[in-house]
Amino acid sequence: MFGEEELVKIHKERATLISYIITAAFGLVLARLWYLQVYKGETLHNYSIQNRLRKEVVWAPRGLIYSRDDQLLVDNIPRFDAILTPQFLLDKEETLAKLAKILQTDVASIEAIIKKNSNQARYRPFIIKKNISFGELAQIETQNADLPGISVDTFISREYRDKEIGAHLLGYISEISQVQLPKLRERDKTEYRLGDFIGQFGIEEQLDKYLRGENGHEFVEVDARGRRKRYINTDNLFKGIEDEKPLSGMNVKLTIDRDMQIAAYKALEGKVGGVIAVDIDSGEVLTMVSRPSFDPSQFSRGLTPEYWRSLVGNKEHPLRDRNIQEHFSPGSTFKAFSAIAAFEQGEIDEHTEIHCNGTFRLGRKVYHCWKKGGHGPVNLIKAIRESCNVYFQKTANRMDIDDISKYAKAFGLGSRTGISLPREVSGLIPTKEWKKKRYGQEWQAGETLSIAIGQSYVLASTIQMAISYAAIANGGKIYRPFVVKDIYDSEGELVKTFTPELLSEVQMKNPKTLKFVREGLFQVVNNPKGTAFYRRGQGILMAGKTGTSQVKSASADKIYQRCENMDYESRHHGLFVGFAPYDNPKIAAAVIVEHGCHGSSAATPVAEAVITQYMKKYQPEIYLKNLDKDKEIKDSWIRSLRASQPAEPSDE
Amino acid sequence: MNQTIVQFLKRYDFSFLGSMSAIFLVGVLNLYSSTHADTHGGLDLLYKSQIGWFILSATVAIAISFINPKTFERFAYFGYIGTLFLVLLVLLMGKVGMGAQRWLVVGPIRMQPSEFMKLGLVLALARYFTKVYPERQLGFKDLIIPGLIMGIPTVMVVIQPDLGTGLLLLFIFSMMIFYKRLKWKTIVSLGMIGLVSGVLMYNFGLREYQKKRIHTFIDPYEDAKGSGYNAIQSEIAIGSGRLFGKGFKNSSQASLSYLPENHTDFVFAIFNEEHGFFGSVFLIILYLVFFMRLIWLASSVQRFFDSVLIIGIMSIFFWHSFINMAMVSGLLPIVGIPLPLMSYGGSSMLTFGVGVGIATSISNSRNFFN
Repeated sequence: MFGEEELVKIHKERATLISYIITAAFGLVLARLWYLQVYKGETLHNYSIQNRLRKEVVWAPRGLIYSRDDQLLVDNIPRFDAILTPQFLLDKEETLAKLAKILQTDVASIEAIIKKNSNQARYRPFIIKKNISFGELAQIETQNADLPGISVDTFISREYRDKEIGAHLLGYISEISQVQLPKLRERDKTEYRLGDFIGQFGIEEQLDKYLRGENGHEFVEVDARGRRKRYINTDNLFKGIEDEKPLSGMNVKLTIDRDMQIAAYKALEGKVGGVIAVDIDSGEVLTMVSRPSFDPSQFSRGLTPEYWRSLVGNKEHPLRDRNIQEHFSPGSTFKAFSAIAAFEQGEIDEHTEIHCNGTFRLGRKVYHCWKKGGHGPVNLIKAIRESCNVYFQKTANRMDIDDISKYAKAFGLGSRTGISLPREVSGLIPTKEWKKKRYGQEWQAGETLSIAIGQSYVLASTIQMAISYAAIANGGKIYRPFVVKDIYDSEGELVKTFTPELLSEVQMKNPKTLKFVREGLFQVVNNPKGTAFYRRGQGILMAGKTGTSQVKSASADKIYQRCENMDYESRHHGLFVGFAPYDNPKIAAAVIVEHGCHGSSAATPVAEAVITQYMKKYQPEIYLKNLDKDKEIKDSWIRSLRASQPAEPSDE
Repeated sequence: MNQTIVQFLKRYDFSFLGSMSAIFLVGVLNLYSSTHADTHGGLDLLYKSQIGWFILSATVAIAISFINPKTFERFAYFGYIGTLFLVLLVLLMGKVGMGAQRWLVVGPIRMQPSEFMKLGLVLALARYFTKVYPERQLGFKDLIIPGLIMGIPTVMVVIQPDLGTGLLLLFIFSMMIFYKRLKWKTIVSLGMIGLVSGVLMYNFGLREYQKKRIHTFIDPYEDAKGSGYNAIQSEIAIGSGRLFGKGFKNSSQASLSYLPENHTDFVFAIFNEEHGFFGSVFLIILYLVFFMRLIWLASSVQRFFDSVLIIGIMSIFFWHSFINMAMVSGLLPIVGIPLPLMSYGGSSMLTFGVGVGIATSISNSRNFFN
């Protein structure tokens, strides 16, 4: 046996060998360094000083966005920025004077920009003037030799052809900020870099991975002043380096119709609100417009502080989308679901008559109908047509809130519709259990009365209302609304196509329920006593329901105060939800006009404009036929009502 | 009392800590120089956290230097199993996360267990070689169990996937079996087998796209075209330094952002650009002194375990240094292996601290107990 020390000793030979190996290895490294630093030192030194190989990103063209009628909505357009690299700026005064002349500005303002950027490294270029004209571009390029340190940066600007129209739907792209960078890298498992553009809102955000494409790169030789010299391909040193072409993003075709968008935008002129329209038999979203709006192109070019302030400082919040990212009390538009619940539960039938004298007293509280003096005897159709609060409150008083909620939820309210757009709100349909959880309190009977007329806790977005009314029209089918029809690659090959998705179908116990509710909704628009009769349009045979959403609950003495006399912030929101044509439903639309006071005067014309545009374009034959039908209806009313007083262009 | 302290200081071996500090000092100045311009990307403050890591690592080294070296032997397998477990943990978590993962996150600290795995391997091999026929020359059969000790963690890091670290484990293993008197006959046979099977595989076993894939597999985070570009920029950086370099903070390659990762894998290129050939000679001498001192210690200790352990620790740092320098200067393909004490990185520095602590402890045990 060996002792420990002998063991170490017999391995000494190998230890010595290892020390030779190590010395030889480092000798090899030193020899290589000698080769690079002494033998090739001059050459490589020259490369580093005079010739610089720069790897430049070649941005992938982002995919284009088309409407359902193949009109280009979002395009890419080349733009140019004048940039300056301080490191290469020689003869500062002379250069800046020349530059100022070209850009038609003064040296002082250029100096100010330089000063503002003086805290960053001198090799980093920064922008002197954004979006220069072709004339300025040509001058800078031709005088290149006299403008050391000045160059032109080309970039592809994202242009939204209809500017503010549908901005909330299309969204915008902007540079990834320092704050977003780590979060986005984590979320998408993609190595984004600072300055990469990414969709931040709407379709641009939702479909970013399709639209984005893959950036390529090219190797450019630049001289000591940072100016591009030529493309690399000949030199031995750079053998094996290859450019990589960018991969264009995919093109997207939406379900949206451009002409309807324009019609909707015009109809919302001067209003604050949103409109959404869906195809009844598929859930395709045809229109989605929110106003006030913004110009998404501004974001891709880099927002000017002034524009940003104008958006953020605006009290009407142009950046907010009113259709899927906001919810409201649906007001009387909710009565359709109160009616369905009561009818299905057998609380009422088409003959049930309830007397409305203008008020309904429950305990110590008095509930008012919007019509002073009341509607007199009211049946279901009249209740919907004239939006009688007392009818629905008296009915609801005999019902359990959870039964009403059950039907509202079955029609898609109270949960997200699942539209493929970011940040959809869920709305709210209250239940006893919900209240217990949320407030720790029992449900109060009086609360049911408020819910029945769409006030208090109940909240819904326009997309939810449109989908639920579409279901009333199509016999209870709830479709998932969607905005993207097809995705094509840059060669035009179809990559992905989206088909309607039937989420659920409401099973009606009573086959008459929807028939009478629809009849009521038809009379709202087409009966002289209906709340929307005076905004019914022509040739569309619309059915629907107006609604008023109370912004602040009014005290008893102010209940009949004229809305227009209140201060703006306290005015009610006006709503309208409807579908058309009544006898062969194709399209459903929902409108909210914030502080618009009345559903009839503020919201109905918007739906009418959108639906009319739809009918003219997509159902021209039915439209023509309906023009005649419309006339017949009108004539018959004129005949029968000649003697009697027509209803006021009323509230509710 | 004073006498005792003086006695203690005289006997305490400061050479390893001194070596570590000297290389670190060069390293942190170089790190500062190569990143100071990057105010935009936020790398300009990296040197501060590097100093923090050094303080931690030096403290760990000093703490370990007071441990009786017999303890290392007692806990050798435990250390191996422990680090193996951490590597396994990362592997499982990586699988759950649906992607490659090398990091283990414990609160605010991100660790790379594969760094510590190298120490675990060295400990286990040292223990095994000491216990099983320590006097015998190694033949083929004697390599089976040590081969398994090395093979298990190697396979695990390779499927992480981190082929670079896998190769390092293999190299460390090779140097240790060489020290443990692997028979020349076996060395020649192994060499022949490796060479022939490699050539055969490359020429007949692999298709063109697979050959290409091997290159990218070596480091999946670097595409082939990208790494070709990096290698050339690295050579330009080194060569342009010539004999005396461009001077501190004057690297144009780094400041122009031509060199990616100039704070981790490519620090040596920046150092060469700024300090030239003579600077590199100085730096390489610093490393060589450290390695020679370790080899000398390995041949002069009384316990065989200590001797093998020191050789193992030395191999870890030697292979790291050599492969990094060779890759940056274009002798080897680009694989992501950092230069000890020069590249930015906490786990790597901490491993170095532990190694220095063990070496100091072993060296002190000679001086104190003699």
